[in-house]
Amino acid sequence: MKIILKYILTNVKERKARTFVMLLSILLSAMLLFISFSIGVSYESAQRKMARGMAGSATVSVQSVEGGIHADHIPALPDIQTKAGIVEGTSLYHENGYYETVDLLAADMEALNQINKPRLIGDGEVTAFSGNQIILPDRFTSKYGIEKGDTVTLQINGSPVDFEVAEIAAYDTVFLRHTRGATALLPLETIKEVLGWEDGYSEILIEPAPNSTTGNLISELKNALDNGKYRVSEVVNEAQIAADARQKSMPFFLISFFSLTMSIFIIYSSYKVITLDRLPIIGTFRSIGATEKTVTCILLLESLFYGCTGGLIGIPVGMIVLKGILQGMGKSLSQGIEIPAVISVPGVILSFAVAVIVSLFSAWLPVCRASRLPIKDIVLGTAEEKYIPRPLIVGIGIVLFIVSALLPRFASGTMLYLAGGFSLSGLIAAAILVIPVFTNLASAGLERFYGAAAGNEGRIAARNMKDNKNVTQNITLLFISISAIIAIRVVGNFVTTYISDVFHGAELQGFADGHMNPEFVEQVKEMDGAEKVLPLYVFKNNVQGNSEPISRLEGTDNLEWYNSMFALHYTDRLMSEQAALSFASGERAVIINEDCMKRGGFSIGDRIMLSNGTSGNSYVVAGSFKSRATDVEAVIPSMYAVSDFGASDYDLLAYTAADPDAIMVQIRALFGETSNWSRTVEEFNNDALATVGAFLQPMHSMTYFILLLATVGVINNLLINYIQKRRTIAMYKSIGLSNRQNRKMTLIEGFSSGLMGAVIAIVVSYMEIQTIFLVAGPQISMTPELDIWTFLVAGTLGIIVTLLGSIVPIFKSRKMKLVEEIKFE
Amino acid sequence: MNILTEEAAIEGKNIIKDFQLGDTKTRVLKNISLKVIQGEFVSIMGQSGSGKSTLLYILGGLDVPTSGSVFINGMDISKFNDEKMSRIRRQNIGFVFQFYNLIPNLNVAENIMLPLLLDGKKMRDYKKPLKDILEVVGLWDKRGHTPRELSGGQQQRVAIARALIGNPEILFADEPTGNLDSHTGAEIMSLLQRINKERGQTIIMVTHSPEAAKSSSRVITVSDGQLQ
Repeated sequence: MKIILKYILTNVKERKARTFVMLLSILLSAMLLFISFSIGVSYESAQRKMARGMAGSATVSVQSVEGGIHADHIPALPDIQTKAGIVEGTSLYHENGYYETVDLLAADMEALNQINKPRLIGDGEVTAFSGNQIILPDRFTSKYGIEKGDTVTLQINGSPVDFEVAEIAAYDTVFLRHTRGATALLPLETIKEVLGWEDGYSEILIEPAPNSTTGNLISELKNALDNGKYRVSEVVNEAQIAADARQKSMPFFLISFFSLTMSIFIIYSSYKVITLDRLPIIGTFRSIGATEKTVTCILLLESLFYGCTGGLIGIPVGMIVLKGILQGMGKSLSQGIEIPAVISVPGVILSFAVAVIVSLFSAWLPVCRASRLPIKDIVLGTAEEKYIPRPLIVGIGIVLFIVSALLPRFASGTMLYLAGGFSLSGLIAAAILVIPVFTNLASAGLERFYGAAAGNEGRIAARNMKDNKNVTQNITLLFISISAIIAIRVVGNFVTTYISDVFHGAELQGFADGHMNPEFVEQVKEMDGAEKVLPLYVFKNNVQGNSEPISRLEGTDNLEWYNSMFALHYTDRLMSEQAALSFASGERAVIINEDCMKRGGFSIGDRIMLSNGTSGNSYVVAGSFKSRATDVEAVIPSMYAVSDFGASDYDLLAYTAADPDAIMVQIRALFGETSNWSRTVEEFNNDALATVGAFLQPMHSMTYFILLLATVGVINNLLINYIQKRRTIAMYKSIGLSNRQNRKMTLIEGFSSGLMGAVIAIVVSYMEIQTIFLVAGPQISMTPELDIWTFLVAGTLGIIVTLLGSIVPIFKSRKMKLVEEIKFE
Repeated sequence: MNILTEEAAIEGKNIIKDFQLGDTKTRVLKNISLKVIQGEFVSIMGQSGSGKSTLLYILGGLDVPTSGSVFINGMDISKFNDEKMSRIRRQNIGFVFQFYNLIPNLNVAENIMLPLLLDGKKMRDYKKPLKDILEVVGLWDKRGHTPRELSGGQQQRVAIARALIGNPEILFADEPTGNLDSHTGAEIMSLLQRINKERGQTIIMVTHSPEAAKSSSRVITVSDGQLQ
């Protein structure tokens, strides 16, 4: 055993370059996988923190159906850890025509410190907080240049109230929010006074005891409290948060998938060479009595060493990189939200296990093949690989490709995820199987082209690629790397757009949310540069459809503009025309969003009763839609909004203009001191990006790691290629190939491999992206945009990497000792 | 027809070759001078490690001497740069190795044509010479096969055809029968002898086998880095 270990360690030590490449690939894979796991968990935890916002560690909320609630209304249950009564209100901050919602919050500070302690800038404590004092988050103060000690004026119930800024807090804990606007903390007595609140608290937040669950506590509270008087609910929808986090961490797992695929290929190809190199040693071992199993074990022990070492180094490196990424995320949010790195034990164990398994599995195939070779053939140097008929391989490849491409189209529900996973792996496997034939066909075509363009060297280089395992191996690794980069880039960009640009695809360039009479709208229409101006009647929570509450109903006189302004995606393409016809014919028609259709059990063509409690009329359901640009649930013609529900003034206006900013300035001026929430789409997106865009930064950072892994893989392959090819180069040189000709041929081969790898990568990544969006499709109301430049740039990068990688073999072959290479078999 | 003239096809003068093995410098060739005249078939024999292969590779320009000169057609090839030496290898000399050294993924015809292709010639202009040489080595019907589909003897014949396609003045052979059974080895030697006699090509061959050496017109023995 000692001798075997010594033999393994000597191998590791002697082959420094190969050991380095193998260790680096395992290390990077383990690191990327670990980061993917941890960033998903950290992201989920940060998302949960943001969604909980003011609630902190409290997970249950109790409110009174009418009026306020007192702390002693809550029974003393053993499952309750802390209860914090809070009073909430809203106000508006106004500066230069720009209104921002500021939610007011006050609580018993002792209880608040237990469930969600405010983090002040400079790490101080909230003390002597009373009177007209206010604590504001730095995200808000830095936006408006407010300093500690300044006075800010908030519009509360239409009246201005001055507050002294007592402290500035970090945009964290109680100030965190996942909706627009800001949260401000006031002294409890002050908020009661300015809001005129007399009856206890508006809500009591409850933190469950350590051994209790939210679900248990809710049911206990519901049993203990009078359901007619109190409403007990979960603070945030945990399942929804987990689902959101999963969606956002999807690109990270995609990165892991590709990095693992690349690692398998790097180790597999390295081991193919290692075992080939070691055939004489294997022969020696076998000839002195080592069994097939012993030889396999000796070689696998070496790969186990790579797996364990790569995993053991990769995970701590991953922890450092994760912290760096999360700190980067915090810094890129100008207000510095703190996102602690959550290092999960399952994540560590799984990353290590995957590193070891991937290393062992990748080595196992070539090692087993070598161990099984007949001793006589190994000793005599006549061992050959088993020949598998090419048509069979190509046939399997084509069938696998078709099945992988089509399967997700026919699957649904949970099966869709399984089909998606199969499709992603299947497409890569199918391409690997087809690559040798593709290379042969392409080299035949290129032979003519290069013959004409680069003479005989070009012709020989193209011919040399035919049936050349090194070339196909190179193309395979390159295509996996390029397709990984393309897929990650496209999905990453999509997620960024999806999260940060809700108006993506919507035509509107600005909107005004406020009370507007017809004259106001006319003035906007008259503004210089205004193009489309779409005023809307808005009914919030006061219309029901067949007694199903409709949270937001809007009335419009131009459905065509409405469709394009808010990027409505109708369930069925024909529905758009049907709805337009119904609206134009003067019929009482309504279009309803898909969630509301489902909730109300409505169908297209149904007649539903829309009523506001005093009057109601029957409307035909003319269409259903989904849209990310508006949370409207139903839209009716404006004439019926007026006649049936008494609308007179507008509450929302969307517009397009040559200069949206100029129009926005004028709209704000028109509103004057009237409260409104008016933004250009650009302003809105900037706000949104400041909150969520930074979360996506790590994904872009990780793209560089995958690029590094891809480069390591390609260089490893080119080195292997050179090791295997140096004898061929020597043969060529012995019959008169000059260094210049060798350089030309190597570069042509490198370029051609890069080109073929890029072409296959573009096709495969396109198919992979289709699969990814087919799987993710049911949850998203947006189609991905495939930018041809992403594909072309990635392809070109692949070619450049291969060309750069050709430099080493060119230089090495210049110094080659011809006799040594040729003389020994 | 044996075209033997007194003009030197190749001449080595004061060839010294040192190898550095770790800290030890070993002199493998010790001031060797020799002349091979055009049309001669010379065998170089000697024990393992005597330096016979090193001498062959230096004469053939695959290796360079530590000191001394090698003249082919009166030109000192030991001073040639890579471009000039490659041209000499394409046009003036041919090599046959013990392990054939064929390009595995090219077929027989392509392997044979390689020196001409590297010399910028067009394959279509050399159909006749290709056919002729394939007939000389008896492999016309195997021209589309890849090396792995041929026996050892057939592969060696492809290597000989490749060495001869450019009609070089000198053919170097390093143990051409060393990897073959005796019957196939004899066939190869007979082929080399025929080539030497009929085409007048100068052949310099390294061999262990006294049987193979019998085919040559002169035998040189190298012992301890010196000619005997």
